[in-house]
Amino acid sequence: MFLFKLISFLLGYVTILVTGDAPEKLINMAASRGISLWDVTRTGDGGIRLKVRVNAVKPLRHMARRTRCRFRICSREGLPFYFARLRRRKALALGAVFCVGVLYLLTSFVWFIEVRGNEQLSSAELLEVAAEAGLARGVPKWRVETGVVEAKIIERLPLVAWTGVYIKGTKVIIEVAERTLPVEEDQQPAHIVAGKAGLIKEVLVVSGHPVVKEGDTVVPGQVLISGVIPAVEETAPGTEPESGQKPREIKPAAYVHARGIVRARVWYEGYGEVPIIEEGRRLTGNTETRTSIKFEGKEIILSGSKNIPFEYYEVDTLVKSLPSWRNLTIPVELITTKYHELADYRIERSPEEARRLAEERALQKALASLSPNTRVEKQWVEEVQTGNVENLVRVKAIIEAVEDIGTDKHFKP
Amino acid sequence: MAWQDVKKKVKRQISEILEIPGDVALDLPKIILFGNIQFYIENHRGILEYSPERVRVSVGEGEVLVEGENLILRNILPDELCVEGRIFSLRFD
Repeated sequence: MFLFKLISFLLGYVTILVTGDAPEKLINMAASRGISLWDVTRTGDGGIRLKVRVNAVKPLRHMARRTRCRFRICSREGLPFYFARLRRRKALALGAVFCVGVLYLLTSFVWFIEVRGNEQLSSAELLEVAAEAGLARGVPKWRVETGVVEAKIIERLPLVAWTGVYIKGTKVIIEVAERTLPVEEDQQPAHIVAGKAGLIKEVLVVSGHPVVKEGDTVVPGQVLISGVIPAVEETAPGTEPESGQKPREIKPAAYVHARGIVRARVWYEGYGEVPIIEEGRRLTGNTETRTSIKFEGKEIILSGSKNIPFEYYEVDTLVKSLPSWRNLTIPVELITTKYHELADYRIERSPEEARRLAEERALQKALASLSPNTRVEKQWVEEVQTGNVENLVRVKAIIEAVEDIGTDKHFKP
Repeated sequence: MAWQDVKKKVKRQISEILEIPGDVALDLPKIILFGNIQFYIENHRGILEYSPERVRVSVGEGEVLVEGENLILRNILPDELCVEGRIFSLRFD
């Protein structure tokens, strides 16, 4: 049926109004001769309106004479007629052609430039170099030579290891891969100071002057390896050091960027408590989702049940509204509400079980505060006694770890 | 017309034995009704009367009468006919 309509549209069809004593006769005759008619309706005054393909109008005229009917063409539709109408409206046709032409012209320019893959280089830098090579916004596409742009970027920016320039429609994508350069060493004078409190276990100095030694207790911020190397002083050989005589300076004091490893024992604490009898409410995992549309205070439920099938529940609401434009807001919101079922529970534990659980929690907390690359030396737990009997087991976990506690701190000599 | 009746009877029996559809062997119309909104007939012999309330279609023997309101002939082909509108009744005369 669709195909039939399409072909009719392509060939062109007319709507005709048949008047006469027996229009049915004309219809029968047309049908029997293989002329297809459609959308036959009776008009108020005894006539019949029907549609027929344009190439069947001529035979229909003969049949009308034979059946003593008269017909009149009401409207012409279909592609051939539209073309004929278009031929009369030259400005419209010209406008359409012009529109397509402008569209084609506009698509032959570069409108967007996207830079991808740059981390150290800024996009502006890359765009500047690309502009030198003749790739900028508004440049005709046929003038952009991707190879030249690529070569220019490689040549001008030594940080770029590889680059690819692609034209996709009106968008140009500059993809770069950067070289990773070795990190330059910081030469500013600096101390190594303690990042956290601890007991020094070993000090390994690469450069600088050690201030602490093994067994020392340090507090955060305390200088461990000083960046100030004191002057080496020595009295002249063969002479007794005399009071009042200044010793000879062999090497003057120097300022360096202190480097080294200071390992110290550090203690981490964690605390955990578990009630022996635990009561409360928790999620059962059952959820119910309701989607509704809110329009001017009225809420229309699209999906989901009207009544929530849970006794206790938590509500999670997500409101999506259309973006407002200037001071016009569209008063329609899509609301997705999720109901999570809650249920009462009660757990009774033996004191041992509670203790074990509390220990686990305390250790976990202590471990969470541990920094990475830390070696755990020892760990122990102890129960915290409050003196009075209560429905709670409190446990403290202590982890002893050995780690590098030094951090750099710049100073002005 | 006795001879005609005998001929018809034989034809029907043969088509029943061979399971040939009636519209092929007996020249009967094939009618499809889509609810009360569309009436589709194949193998018709022409339209006898058409108005928005009544459509009479000639078939091999007799005629089919469709009554309703706002009836239009959606499509007319040499042996196909499609009527749309609100159909109230369908009768064989």
